[in-house]
Amino acid sequence: MNFNSKVMPPARPKLSQILLAMKLTTILILAALSTVSASSYSQMITLHKRNISVGEVLRLIEKQTNYHFLYDRRDISRAGVINVDVGNVSVEVALDKCFKDQPLTYKIFQNTIVIKSREYFKEETLLKDLIVKGVVTDNKGETLPGVSVKLKGTTVGATTDSEGRYTLNVPDNNSILVFTYIGYITQEISINGSNSINVRLLEDTKSLEEVVVVGYSSKQLSQLSSSVVVVSGAKLNDVTSDDVTGLLQGKAAGVIVSNSSGDPNAGSNIIIRGSSSINAGAGPLYVVDGIIGGNAIPKDVESVTILKDAAATGLYGSRAANGVVIITTKTGKAGKTRIDFSSTTGFNTANTGNFRVMNSQQLYDYTKSFYPTDRFDKEIPASVVSQNTNWHDLAFRTGLNQNYGMAVSGGSEKTQFYVAGSYYNEEGTLKFNSNERYNMRTNITHTINDKFKLNVKFNARFNNQEFDPAGLDGALYGSYNNMPWDNPYNQDGSINRGTDGKWYGREQENFLHGWQYNINERQGTGLDGDINLDYSIIPNLSFASYNRVGYTNSRNELFNDIRSKAGKGLGRLNNGSNNGLSLITSNRLRYGKSFGKHTFDALAVGEIEKNHTSFNTVLGEGLAPGLHVINTASRILSATGGISENAFSKGLVQLDYNYDNRYFAVGSFINESSSRFGANNRSANFYTLGTSWILSNENFMKDRSKIDLLKIRASYGLTGNANIGNYQSLGLYSFATQYDSNSGSFPSQMANNDLAWEKAESWNLGLDVGMFNRISLNLDIYDKTTQGLLLNVEQPYTTGFGSVIKNVGSIQNRGLEINLTTDNLKGKFKWETNFNMAFNRSKVLVLEKGKDIRQGDLIISEGEELYTWNMRKWVGVDPANGDPLWERVSTDPNGNRIVTTTNSYSLATQQNVGSANPNFTGGMSNSFTYKGFSLFAFFNFVSGNLVYHSSRALFDSDGAYYTYNSMVLADGWNRWEKPGDIATHPKPVFGGSKNSNRTSSRFLEDGSYVRLRNVTFSYQLPSDFVNKFHIGNAKFFVSGDNLLTLTKFSGMDPEVVLGPGGGTSSIKYPISRKVLFGINIGL
Amino acid sequence: MKTFNIKRYILVAVLLTSISACEKSLQPYDSKSNEVALTTPDDIQIATYGNYSMLVAENYTRHLLTLNEWPGDNVVQSGADGDQASLGASYQHIPGMYPTRDFWAQSYKLIYSTNLIIERIKDGESPKLDQLKGENLYLRAMAHFNLVRLFGRPYPQGDGNNPGIPIKKDLKADDFPSRNTVKEVYDFVIADLLKAVSLMKDSKNANFASKEVAEALLSRVYLFKKDNANAIIYADKVINSNRYSLANTAVYKKSPTLVPESNPETIFNIRHTISDNKDKNSVGSLYYNDPATLSTGWGEYYASQAYMDLLNQNPQDARHAFITTHYIGGVLQYRGTSPVYFINKYNWQEGIANLASPVYLRLAEMYLNKAEANAKLGNNQLAIADVNLIRERAGLSGTALYTVSDLKGRGSVLNVVLEERRLEFAFEGQRSGDLFRNNLPLVRAYPGLHGTDNFNFRVEPTDSRVVYYIPEREININPNLTQNP
Repeated sequence: MNFNSKVMPPARPKLSQILLAMKLTTILILAALSTVSASSYSQMITLHKRNISVGEVLRLIEKQTNYHFLYDRRDISRAGVINVDVGNVSVEVALDKCFKDQPLTYKIFQNTIVIKSREYFKEETLLKDLIVKGVVTDNKGETLPGVSVKLKGTTVGATTDSEGRYTLNVPDNNSILVFTYIGYITQEISINGSNSINVRLLEDTKSLEEVVVVGYSSKQLSQLSSSVVVVSGAKLNDVTSDDVTGLLQGKAAGVIVSNSSGDPNAGSNIIIRGSSSINAGAGPLYVVDGIIGGNAIPKDVESVTILKDAAATGLYGSRAANGVVIITTKTGKAGKTRIDFSSTTGFNTANTGNFRVMNSQQLYDYTKSFYPTDRFDKEIPASVVSQNTNWHDLAFRTGLNQNYGMAVSGGSEKTQFYVAGSYYNEEGTLKFNSNERYNMRTNITHTINDKFKLNVKFNARFNNQEFDPAGLDGALYGSYNNMPWDNPYNQDGSINRGTDGKWYGREQENFLHGWQYNINERQGTGLDGDINLDYSIIPNLSFASYNRVGYTNSRNELFNDIRSKAGKGLGRLNNGSNNGLSLITSNRLRYGKSFGKHTFDALAVGEIEKNHTSFNTVLGEGLAPGLHVINTASRILSATGGISENAFSKGLVQLDYNYDNRYFAVGSFINESSSRFGANNRSANFYTLGTSWILSNENFMKDRSKIDLLKIRASYGLTGNANIGNYQSLGLYSFATQYDSNSGSFPSQMANNDLAWEKAESWNLGLDVGMFNRISLNLDIYDKTTQGLLLNVEQPYTTGFGSVIKNVGSIQNRGLEINLTTDNLKGKFKWETNFNMAFNRSKVLVLEKGKDIRQGDLIISEGEELYTWNMRKWVGVDPANGDPLWERVSTDPNGNRIVTTTNSYSLATQQNVGSANPNFTGGMSNSFTYKGFSLFAFFNFVSGNLVYHSSRALFDSDGAYYTYNSMVLADGWNRWEKPGDIATHPKPVFGGSKNSNRTSSRFLEDGSYVRLRNVTFSYQLPSDFVNKFHIGNAKFFVSGDNLLTLTKFSGMDPEVVLGPGGGTSSIKYPISRKVLFGINIGL
Repeated sequence: MKTFNIKRYILVAVLLTSISACEKSLQPYDSKSNEVALTTPDDIQIATYGNYSMLVAENYTRHLLTLNEWPGDNVVQSGADGDQASLGASYQHIPGMYPTRDFWAQSYKLIYSTNLIIERIKDGESPKLDQLKGENLYLRAMAHFNLVRLFGRPYPQGDGNNPGIPIKKDLKADDFPSRNTVKEVYDFVIADLLKAVSLMKDSKNANFASKEVAEALLSRVYLFKKDNANAIIYADKVINSNRYSLANTAVYKKSPTLVPESNPETIFNIRHTISDNKDKNSVGSLYYNDPATLSTGWGEYYASQAYMDLLNQNPQDARHAFITTHYIGGVLQYRGTSPVYFINKYNWQEGIANLASPVYLRLAEMYLNKAEANAKLGNNQLAIADVNLIRERAGLSGTALYTVSDLKGRGSVLNVVLEERRLEFAFEGQRSGDLFRNNLPLVRAYPGLHGTDNFNFRVEPTDSRVVYYIPEREININPNLTQNP
């Protein structure tokens, strides 16, 4: 406890007073923490000196005791030389003697002694005997350490100790005490002659909620001019998942999240305000804790802010065309150390929706209806129905889902910490498929002094993922297509390989067999370290440096044992490893100034980023049973490896203005460059403007007390997109080939030196209304027009290339977003509803030379909605003969369009048959609370999109795939049997019914659905009760995810990836139904 | 105060460097800029290896073999499968078949890359560059020829005046070519091959093009064009070069398992090394599934009953070696109604189940090209002699051989030759082309999943589906392309 700043700077008296007060507070805190140790020192003084300076005396006293002095050198220099002659006296006696004739006096704070001129302490000398004591608690009655207690109008004060107690000398009975504590509402209490004042501080929930992290800064929500959505950590963590993105589903208007697979290792897909890009990735930019990139698990998330319009995303300019998702992780709060423990355990089951495959008898009857009659009995004896294998039941299971976490947080006024560890393990509903994750996070904030603040964050995670190891086609495929006539077990109970003859299914594969021996897994490690430094240069001007190193590493292994079919008689091992390193530094200067009703904020940022990835794989064969390291392989079949890099740099300035909390304006200018673009267009400029007006703060609105908030917002901006692969502008010869063991090269990419940033110009108009303290409504309309669309333009293959990436075309997204929160009931029984809904229309404005661009069965064509299905149009079944019918469109010599039907697939015309985009998406949650009980239910919905159910080509094939199982016809479907039948399904024909199962609008289905994503019922134990067990709070809950889905879709699950590359449902791993039980305990 | 200033300078420096730093001309690690990739003769050699490697791609080798072989009558589709080349087997073509699309794409990628080199080299710069130019001319010709066989009607129909495929000999990027006639494509191919013959002097092994390789392909092209005299001339040039000899019967029987360099009969093959193993996606996997483990391949296309009946006429015929009949416990296995006659012509090179270096030209073809041309020219004796040469190598002798006076009921010498070509080149993609260009129908009187009438399936040489649709993707992008009816 060495106090080095004995020498105070010769500053102006006013400033030095402030500094002294601050130091006194610090001293008092330190003192409070060291009461025990201080008393154990010998504090007696012996001094016999003549003509000695006061300074020297003080030095000698320090030597003999553990007291330290704090003084202003000018005060000491005013004292002359003195004589001292004391023996074995207390420090008070010694100092009284020394200062007897001097203009100095002192004050002792535990073992620190402050020396000042006599005038300085004059006001206090009078009140030595008026002492006020008390305890500070929070609204739950828990004591609060570290609360600042000050005498109003002075610098005199104290801080509460670890038991929440304080003691303070006050000048008179009318003194007012001011209690302040971060996160709590400041209270002023007049002592009114009492010498015991206990205070209960209330949490300042309003201020906590209102401050939003919007990228490079935090702002009050009401002061924003832009369109943002905030999802708190608590709201995020309703559904049990390991993936922050997936948890955002239905929680924010205009944010479309699709969890298209039940595989716990599958990621989710997110689109903010429609796809503004086609080839450049449509995903948003992630920013964790103030800096681009990074990772966080749901439990560590304090809040997620989604920036939607250009004014908000602007500062991320170039990379933000598809929105920005800002994740802020939790931090510690000064005061009592909190320990939070949470545990969730539950079960996952597969959701089979409307989908059923045939059982033995159904398949037998169906097959018989089209099989050549002379062959049927011979090839498929009636005895097959005695075996009825349910392959779905064999492939799927009830999976266990566990999630445990412990977080310790707290700290002092100077240093706060949040340390959390968690374990997540989700077993997929498909056997041998799981995701296990360990995560550790440490966030430390330390105030070095009044100028420097240090912020250190560290996140480490380890993943262990297990994928279906059955080999070859896999268990999911088998669960759909394997035949119920095939018995997975031999007569002796052992598992059949599928290849021993008399197997009806085409693949001759029994996934149960491969499961016995094979391995398919991946281990991943990720580390992120952040060091952030804030430096207050002078008042109003500060500098911040944010720096992160991110590292990822993974190893995957696919081992097919020699005994399994996938082992191909030799055993095979495929090992791969991936490494990623990303470095980013972001340095910021900020200047803020207020005068009168004007407030200015200026920000300048310089940022550079470099990303480096590498991979290696090796494939070997010839391995002894059960051995799965490449050392034991007898032959290496292939090895691959590569390195990829990109770099970005950015500079920006932003100016923010606020007049009287009524008018707001913000503008920014950004310059960014990326290695991904052509030499001629590497850097680009972007800018944004935003403005808003809080009408409810105007005088003419003040008396309309029913309106809490009325605000209008407008923003405009230009943002960019660089989400394309690396090196795309270069004309390249690839050397990743060989012939006859000679290294070879081939032209792999056309040059495009003009390849440039894709830019999106967007408008946003918003309205925020708060009424009756019950209703909060946000409305946004927007228009986002993307220019210089980065597009893989298809080339005729005769040019030597399939496509070349170019800046062509323009698309427009327009939409409306509604977010409504209502407190329907207040009081003991509470009911709150949140509803959000978004409508988005994407229209293709211009394409290069007006030419359509095809992406599989989706077409992008001028004037049409982005992602329009283009394929042959199914018109049904010919009632006369059961043939499939499609539409044929031709033009007669007069140019008239002639529409006929044809049973020839090849002659049918490809045409637009509907959109893969939903008309609207949204979510609704309701929560009911009564005493400790609460019930929460959350629905999300998607409407109006057409999903292409591609795997029906296999299991709804009208006889083309008679060696696969078939689906049971869905409600409302029927099959043609005899002339005159009006049917949805054509006559089945052995080997195929005139290509009826080829791609056509026949397999396009309505993808609309409403899903009950989560229901949670919880009970919070009364605090009086749990306090007896020294527990702060305890909550029990039971929660159900995806319990109910309403849809017409014929497959297991209607949810598909929406946006680029999406819209198709294939052999589907349905998302799980989960029932979970949990307990949260806070100490 | 001083420290304060220093800090301020550091701060400004940090800000400035972070904005201005960072040179962003990053280059990929596995590629070179196309401006430097063809600078030296060594670069051109490497790029030429790269062009050969384009043949090795699944999109070339596999589709070349399946799209040509499956419409024939040597193989049978035993049941439903997912390879859309099966639509060729059942004559239910659709315009959007991925095998035709991918084969087309890979062919033109190869043509484009050869054009880059052919344009780059002036004749006579050096013997080495001449040789490389010749090799690229050969590859360009081969690519065009293989395309026109799949997408253009047989040459004799309309005397080559039907639409063929676009000839591509320039580097124009923004180009939407229309189809040249079959004749134009044949003439272009012949011109390239003749030029290649004149440029190539090195006798590289059968993994690479050389003078004799180009001459061997000329023999085939002339035969298909009904230019019988030239077909004989170029076959003779190859035979008389004495660079090749027919493998003896023992070597012949195990030829798929040999590395191609040790097979004296191979003129040109698409060399696959161990690292080119396409495994379950290889053509060998479609025909064969190792009976010992039944796990190496799909094994869903078998030798047809008709082919087996023909082969079984002479049990000692060495070409039985290319068939692995599948028994379990002594019982012949069936898939559906098809007996499982696995074809192993594309398996077990260097001991790897699905590794093979498909032979594109071999000496036996030169003899049978000659035989066919001679039969058509009425030189029956010469034709029969060459047929017997091939039969003797197959281990046949005595009454198994033909004489002009004893055609064993085949009706004509041409029929004898065609039947021998069927036996010899089975599964090598020749059969349906041999029928249709000789104006003969395809008749399948054996069970299998072809069409709706499984036992009596007939395709006339004039049928629309004797050729494939132009890939729908190309039709959609390139308005100048016309579709086949």
